[in-house]
Amino acid sequence: MHSLFRATHGTTRRALLAGGLAATVAMSLAACGSGDDDSITGGGVGTAEKPVSIRMIANDAFARQWQEQMVPEFNKAYPNIKVTIDGVPYGDLLAKEMLELTAPEPTYDIVVADDPWIPQLAKTGGLADLKGDLGAFTKSDYDWDDFNAAPLAAGEWQGKQYAVPLRSNLLLMFYNKTLYAKAGLPEPTPALTWQQYLEQAPKLVQDTNGDGKTDAWAVGTYFTRDPLTPTIWQTILNSNGGQILDDDNRPAFNTPAGVAALQTHVDLLKYAPPGAATYQFNEPLEAFRQGKTATMFMWGSVYRGTAIDPKTTTLKPEEVGIQVMPVGSLGAGAHRGMWTGAVAKKSKQAEAAWALLQWLSSKQGEKWQVNTLGVFPARKSTLSSTPEQAWLTPVFKAITDGYAAVEKGKMWRPKLPESDAIQQILATQHSLAISGQVTPAQALQNAEDEINKLLKSKGY
Amino acid sequence: MPITTQTAAGSASAPPIAPAVPSPRRRPIGHRLRDLGSRWLFLAPALAILVAVLAYPLFYTVQISFSELDLATFTPARNVGWLNYRTVLDDPGFLNSLRVTGVYLALALPLQMVLGFGIAFLLNVEWRGRGVLRSLFLIPMVVVPVVAGGVWKMLLDPMWGFVNYLLGLVGLGPVDWLADPTLAMVSLVLIDTWRWTPFVVLIASAGLMSLPGDVFEAARVDGAGWFATLRRITLPLLAPVILAAFIVRWLGAVKMFDIALAATKGGPGQATDVVNLYIYEKAFRGLEFGTASSMATLVLAITMLLTFLFLRLNRFLEKRW
Repeated sequence: MHSLFRATHGTTRRALLAGGLAATVAMSLAACGSGDDDSITGGGVGTAEKPVSIRMIANDAFARQWQEQMVPEFNKAYPNIKVTIDGVPYGDLLAKEMLELTAPEPTYDIVVADDPWIPQLAKTGGLADLKGDLGAFTKSDYDWDDFNAAPLAAGEWQGKQYAVPLRSNLLLMFYNKTLYAKAGLPEPTPALTWQQYLEQAPKLVQDTNGDGKTDAWAVGTYFTRDPLTPTIWQTILNSNGGQILDDDNRPAFNTPAGVAALQTHVDLLKYAPPGAATYQFNEPLEAFRQGKTATMFMWGSVYRGTAIDPKTTTLKPEEVGIQVMPVGSLGAGAHRGMWTGAVAKKSKQAEAAWALLQWLSSKQGEKWQVNTLGVFPARKSTLSSTPEQAWLTPVFKAITDGYAAVEKGKMWRPKLPESDAIQQILATQHSLAISGQVTPAQALQNAEDEINKLLKSKGY
Repeated sequence: MPITTQTAAGSASAPPIAPAVPSPRRRPIGHRLRDLGSRWLFLAPALAILVAVLAYPLFYTVQISFSELDLATFTPARNVGWLNYRTVLDDPGFLNSLRVTGVYLALALPLQMVLGFGIAFLLNVEWRGRGVLRSLFLIPMVVVPVVAGGVWKMLLDPMWGFVNYLLGLVGLGPVDWLADPTLAMVSLVLIDTWRWTPFVVLIASAGLMSLPGDVFEAARVDGAGWFATLRRITLPLLAPVILAAFIVRWLGAVKMFDIALAATKGGPGQATDVVNLYIYEKAFRGLEFGTASSMATLVLAITMLLTFLFLRLNRFLEKRW
């Protein structure tokens, strides 16, 4: 009764807070409630007579694809689990998941989270420990050790495994072989350094049709004010041995190497198309697919739509190369960006939810997903297998190299509940530097001060 | 209802005759209480909804602004007094967002008022096709703000955008509208003006149509020219309407959020980081619900104060003319 009161009380207050903010600043906020029931009920995986239903919240970029193609495949193995997947735009997903997980009876049994969100979501107490809470429901042939360490670590926080990799992703370097040839430059290799890249970049800004006007540029990537924009700088910094936070969670990026890395990112803008300062995800992708940029630093999972699918690209498979990002003093660069799946602790169908996540991240499920949907794998066995489609072979090589680089350089966003807040601070200061309002050194000093203030207020 | 009808009829036809039904003041107390009770009864559902969805959440936000919110339970963990407010007033980002919002309001509102009333004057003159144009003017108002921001972002793109294509035809550009801090604010104002000027046109048209014709007739007879009529009659008579339109737009503009989010995300840097966007990011990205609530409360207080002043000015203008 007490917990019911607390839960209901929490619901009202959360709704009120959201409503209040909405009323005062006219924003649309939604809210639910909270509760802290620690019990995990299995709920079974359903029978023909009594099927079970589970609901998943995921990014709208792939929710529909999963609903239409993955769920029927999953139902071949588990015919009595009905799965509904709701797609939410990336920008709203974290807030919605936070509110859902703290509700007394969350709508969703499964939450699909981006790489740095797990600590923040886990801190609410709303995620089940897959190895602990749900260990009894784990299939005996589910091979944890087969995962590459870097992608599996994305779902881990404070010694507990809250999520498993469902759609792996890495920041990689795409290049247009035709534009390199027209510029008279050799195709990049994984040994390409940042210095060499920047030396070549001016030649990749070119007039390809001879009309006297520049119509192709060197690079497209994130430049706008966005939490993902600093990942480019972070990768350059990581590949030179730098880190965002040290082992004591104190800012460690405000160093000459950090400033130089940010200057490199700022310099890239000189060789980017007009308007690139506002580039986020879609814009550099479109520019590359239209043959306007010779290279693109982007999430590798866009490869299929960039090189293979004629409905979404003007490029041909043989024109597009993919590899790790250029090399710094430590090694090559990449940046981890896993979509991981977690089970809501208060789910009434936790067993069925975990069954879906296990199937999707199993050796069998992952291979199906890679070969059918072109999704990037996290398992060593998948990466060492021969893909059914030839275009995946160079992609597998880039992913394997990428995982090695990620592990070596710890190339991920800070693993703290405050990760998103830190990225936001970095994004703002980054944008100030890219738009020339402050120098890279000033931007990093400001970012360091703000992050210190934030972490201090959180008791670090 | 019968009371009103009879009183009105009585006053129109035979003023000295006493009304058939006593006035509310003279009615028996029981009757008055019943009348009062029935009025409150009808008002009660609306009041209950208002209290539930507006007043109570508002007070709860104020409560949160003095608390530290426990994310695990989403309830105030402990009272922190004025700490959140001190943090907010010491936050250069928040102060910058207030400044940015002030600049945006100072640019957007006068522009929308001048354009809106100007277009209303044009539409008020009889000419062929004005009905079609009036209907077309309504389109931007029904476009979802996020869509408006996204579409304009595409239109303003230096490489693919239609605006720069047009500029290119006359040898100008390309202009990097959203990447330059000053131009980004200008772009935001233009997008918002495109979207909301039709609203001002609607109010202004209604105001213009309600102006008394005999006054203009008398002015014409007295030989007043177009400009003199505008300056001495139209504008003074329209002043309360102009201020009313301004207040409605002010209340709408101060909520600016979606367009900035879709078009610039508050950038470059913090050039278009309007206060609502800042509060949203503080709350839902930074999870600083306590300080975000303090910011929201402060913004509410500032908005209420300024709205009160505008309303007083409106009353003054109504009395003056």
